Amino acid sequence: MLSYILRRFAYGALVVLGVLVFLFFLFFAVATPDDIARRSVGEKATPAVIEQWKINHGYDRPLFPGPGHYKDNLFVRHMTSMLTFDLGRSDADGVPIKQRIAEGAGPSLALSVPLFFLELFVSVVVSLFVAFFRETYFDRIVLVFSVFSMSVSILLYIIGGQFLFGTVLRWFPLSGFDSSPSLLFRFLALPVLVGVFASVGSSIRFYRTVFLEEVHKDYVRTARAKGASELRIMLKHVLPNAMIPILTNVVMAIPFLFTGSLLLEAGFGIPGLGALTVEAINANDFSTLRAMVFIGSLLFVLGQVLTDIAYTIVDPRVTLE
Amino acid sequence: MSEFFSPGPVRDALTSSVIALTVLLLAVIAIIKVRKDEPLAAGFAEVYRRRRFSIAVLVLYCFVALLDSIAWVGGGSVSEGDLVSAHEARSVIDRVFSRPRERGYSAPLADKEFYEGSPLAARHVLGTNVLGEDVLYLTLKGARVALLIGAVTSLITIPLALFFGVLAGYFGGRLDDIIFFIMSTLASMPGVLLLVALVMALGQGTLSVCIALGVTSWVGFARLTRGETMKLRQVDYVLAARSLGVRPARIILRHIIPNLLHLIVITFVLLFSGLVLSEATLSWLGIGVGGSWGQMIAQAKDELSRDPLIWWNVVPAGVALFALLLCLNLVGDALRDVLDPRTRRLRA
Amino acid sequence: MRADGQTVLFARRPNLRGEESAQRGLLPVLLGTLIAAVLALGCTNRPYADEESHEPILYVPYGEPPKTLDPAVAYSTADHVVTGKVYDTLLDYHYLKRPFELIGGLAEHVPEAEPLEGGRVRYQFRLREDLRFARDACFEEGPKDPARFTEDGARRVLATDFLFSLSRVADPAVGSPVVEPLSHIDGLVAWGERLAARRKNDAEFAKRRVSQQYQEIGALSGFEVLSDREFAITLHSPYPQILYWFAMPFTTPMAFEAVDYYTGEGGRPSLDEHAVGTGPFVLKRYDKRARIVLEKNPDWYGVRHPEWRAPAATFPSLEGVTGLSAANIEDFAPLAGRSLPMLTRIEMRREEETIPTFGKFMQGYYDTSGIARESFNRVVHEGGLSAEMAERGMRLEKSVVPAVFYLGFNMDDPVVGSAAGERSRLLRQAMSLVTNSEEYCRLFLNGRGLPAQSPLPPGLFGYEEDYKNPYRTLNFEEARRLLAQAGYPGGIDPKTKRPLKLTFDVADTSPESRVRFLFWTNQWRKLGINVELSATNYNKFQEKVRDGAYQIFQWGWVADYPDPENFLFLLTGPMARSASGGPNTANFSDPEFDALFGTMKTMENTEERLEVIRKMRAILERERPWIELFHPEEYALAHGWLRGVKPAGLSIATTKYYGVDAVAREQARREWNRPILWPAWVFLALLAGLIGPLIGRYLKERT
Repeated sequence: MLSYILRRFAYGALVVLGVLVFLFFLFFAVATPDDIARRSVGEKATPAVIEQWKINHGYDRPLFPGPGHYKDNLFVRHMTSMLTFDLGRSDADGVPIKQRIAEGAGPSLALSVPLFFLELFVSVVVSLFVAFFRETYFDRIVLVFSVFSMSVSILLYIIGGQFLFGTVLRWFPLSGFDSSPSLLFRFLALPVLVGVFASVGSSIRFYRTVFLEEVHKDYVRTARAKGASELRIMLKHVLPNAMIPILTNVVMAIPFLFTGSLLLEAGFGIPGLGALTVEAINANDFSTLRAMVFIGSLLFVLGQVLTDIAYTIVDPRVTLE
Repeated sequence: MSEFFSPGPVRDALTSSVIALTVLLLAVIAIIKVRKDEPLAAGFAEVYRRRRFSIAVLVLYCFVALLDSIAWVGGGSVSEGDLVSAHEARSVIDRVFSRPRERGYSAPLADKEFYEGSPLAARHVLGTNVLGEDVLYLTLKGARVALLIGAVTSLITIPLALFFGVLAGYFGGRLDDIIFFIMSTLASMPGVLLLVALVMALGQGTLSVCIALGVTSWVGFARLTRGETMKLRQVDYVLAARSLGVRPARIILRHIIPNLLHLIVITFVLLFSGLVLSEATLSWLGIGVGGSWGQMIAQAKDELSRDPLIWWNVVPAGVALFALLLCLNLVGDALRDVLDPRTRRLRA
Repeated sequence: MRADGQTVLFARRPNLRGEESAQRGLLPVLLGTLIAAVLALGCTNRPYADEESHEPILYVPYGEPPKTLDPAVAYSTADHVVTGKVYDTLLDYHYLKRPFELIGGLAEHVPEAEPLEGGRVRYQFRLREDLRFARDACFEEGPKDPARFTEDGARRVLATDFLFSLSRVADPAVGSPVVEPLSHIDGLVAWGERLAARRKNDAEFAKRRVSQQYQEIGALSGFEVLSDREFAITLHSPYPQILYWFAMPFTTPMAFEAVDYYTGEGGRPSLDEHAVGTGPFVLKRYDKRARIVLEKNPDWYGVRHPEWRAPAATFPSLEGVTGLSAANIEDFAPLAGRSLPMLTRIEMRREEETIPTFGKFMQGYYDTSGIARESFNRVVHEGGLSAEMAERGMRLEKSVVPAVFYLGFNMDDPVVGSAAGERSRLLRQAMSLVTNSEEYCRLFLNGRGLPAQSPLPPGLFGYEEDYKNPYRTLNFEEARRLLAQAGYPGGIDPKTKRPLKLTFDVADTSPESRVRFLFWTNQWRKLGINVELSATNYNKFQEKVRDGAYQIFQWGWVADYPDPENFLFLLTGPMARSASGGPNTANFSDPEFDALFGTMKTMENTEERLEVIRKMRAILERERPWIELFHPEEYALAHGWLRGVKPAGLSIATTKYYGVDAVAREQARREWNRPILWPAWVFLALLAGLIGPLIGRYLKERT
């Protein structure tokens, strides 16, 4: 058991290293420091200007270790600064990225956590209903609704949501954020609502398939033959059995809650990590983007490793490889 | 990287036309292949029966995109107000709409300008935008961008995923370990962030966006093919072929890939809609592909607060995007219902 | 779930119905509770806490966050939004008088120029009594020297603090953008050079605290400390505009304690992110990506000594003020003599999207607003307020901003710049001839802009209404001819045999503004010139410009002070961005222009001065380093409850004169924002209608 856990962690660490190497190639080899500099200071910049930019932003070093610079090269600096969670400073305004991420994590979580759980609740409940009343008009309405909801870009939901709920009905503020508990709810209600609306379509479709698959299984037929009521079958048999794919889905999504939603945060003025990313994009701030991708994947890998371990402990059927 | 697409009008016209024709050719080959494959052909017939309208809409999109893809330099009339365009590759659509720009907004079918009331050069079915460009023209041009993104990305994604998925699934062992590791690495990065990072690193432009979308979307499909291949490996006829000493390459081409065809088709259609939506997101962030519907919406969204309302910039792009996605999703669903053994069983 | 399961199933059967109905009821109850909770708790669109609602707080949005708060460096409007409130200036402008008039600020009076031998000029300043810095952690370090601190522990403002702030402007490491105008102060540049040289040669010295370094470099010859409250500044040559610079935060007093303390190290912010000032407001919260809060400074001289009635510390009386509208008089007269600031707090919220910003203004949650292009027709009707707005008690303030927007060429560029000689001049002239700024103003500014003929905006000396620039009048024929003469017939670059390709660097990456920039490039496409857009955000754009990597750019210049010198210096050689990092972004350099500028700048506003300006204008007309676009007209909307608002156009601190009728505001906010709840009930009814029959059918089937 212990050796399995250790091996699982080691594999996770390997994946994180893989991500770092990938990021290095992405940001330094595919787009060399010269490219990054040129994109920042303009296509027609003189070589001197590019050199100065590289010096100012710490890119004036060889890419890989070599004689005379085994330690002082971009690869080693990139790996150490990430692995020690130093993360460096922003290419755009020189503020430590760590500080920026610490500031942004709260607002991002405040939006993404309620959004996620509400969406989960709504989609599971609705798809349970659909499975229960399968092949009725309700099923068809929900299906049409979910295909519609998937086919509209979230951008239109944001514009429409602000107009309808902020301007016409005046239920919620148009945009903004405040971390004090009394105001938090007020500001988050609309983005959460819009977020749920935009993503619930595809979730309903997914969970509907999961439930329908369970409904057609043998044990359900057996239960029905025994005379169990349809409602009881749903709640006592289908739901618990569908829990495994649902939970797997949930666990996979949790690490991404941290990185926030780019469009919702930008559209509603929530100063989280998603908005930070949008700003980094606008400012060609590669160092911040790099750090964001690294942190995101680190959390994801950690989440996965922990789930795997939890599975082996909880479910004896999962074999230890 | 993006240079391949931007400079040089002749090269521009050539690449665009070549890509269009290649896609067309591939489609024809696919149709011929499918007709030979009986269950698949039957499946398609069933899907066609169920989603006749959606398929017709999709064909219309393809037709418009094709008209906009076939481009050449020179010839035809050039609008007075734009000398540069004479040296640029212009497509059939460009040539149809080669009227001069109006001075500014005009409502659909109006005969005068929206604010000043000065006379227009022509009536415009969907009006004109702030720069006086015909909105119908811009909307039609968006079809090519959307389909180009979907097609080019699928051309990157599907072969890549098939190659690695089948390789890993069929041979297993060390090779599987390595490929699985690469897939885990890519899958562990947050999708949108990776997408954005890739576009930023590769530079803006159609090809970079497609490559970025391809890199972020192949892993899911590769996992699927890997799993399916693992199952197929153990099927009787594959085992028989293997024991007869048939070369792996032959087995893969003869027995494995044909059995994955339904997966490829379903993935292709559903992937397509996801890609077009992702591009809209990138456009909102200001790093999308020029001329896409996403960009049209992003440019014109503030006009929705105008009073009197100017709706004819956002709505056509929004509707065009929505209709494409809706049809893709509907056809994709039908395909899945008909072709996927799992859902096929469900419906029984 | 085998045999025993069955028994359980049967055994519990009688209970089952009750259990089911409980579960069936659970969902609607849950959903109902949730929606009720949403409606009860959050059903208001007020983006602030409720308890603040009766205080005189100003609520304003801001877009781009400040890049720096360091008063020696901060120059952009985005920065001034904060620095203009927390830093006080030696001199001030009379709030109501136009043309602008300087009055005393931290200094008691505007000093007279005393000419000395050798063309030198001396200004003697006398500070107000009992000036103090706002309380700050940096003053709590170490013992409090009674020479610098008052009995209750506040840091006094001394003449040496002005010396210190001038030293910072001179310090090359600080990177102040205004070294050039202030270099008229005798010995300022030499002092900076001494400091830089010493730092370079003496590593030990460079590690010392900044205040210690300055002390060791020694005196700044143009600055005499006469007493704690008196100092004199000597200029090596006449430069009457220097007084205007003392009305800007660059020369605000700076405490050396603050500079030594806020270094950006050891967990403390740098002065880019923190402010220690003497102004009417103090920075309470600086979360620049989202929210900035300023509060009334209890240590400001106007607050501590309201009985002084100092000119910049009370609302001015209307005596001697001309040109006010009736509405203005009605508004300002009752305020006259009130001590400032009238606000207790300023809440600034970051707003990046225009629709929600204007929406919140319309709901009464912001007190002032510009008018978004999209909302213009709703707000303004035939030059006045629309009926809808007037009914809401809004006021519309129109003012011509002393500013110019222009497209600039980088004169250092090999294609469009001076290196290409006559050829590039013809190219610039041709491009200027087809650039239609009137149409731009119509389409994008609702006509709120005056097509520009020269850099000088109306309201400034040297602006002549009847001057028409021949290259700013549309003429396609002429433009084509000039372009052919430049060697680009029909826009074709002979080297590539294709349309000439140029790059237009723009500061804004949003798709909406892309349309605006495309408007300009479309104009040039008519000539056959292919101008491509390259977009980066504002801060990054400034970096690009600093590094000289651009061909064509669009920029605006808002006057720092009301003198033509402040516009024409933007095109002088010594101000070139490439040579000195100055604001001459076009890197235009013409010896004749520079010589004329030297003459013009020290002259009084006479006919002779006008003549010199005309000559300078003729050079610009021919050389076309800029394509002058327009002078914007500002239409500012304010709610009726906001008092004392007079748009200045100039970047000067006006907020301290604002007052708010918080009660009226609260009333309006409530009235305008009553939520409409019935759709919620309709929605619930629909939901019930959708599910109800199903449940009904299910129950029927079961029995």
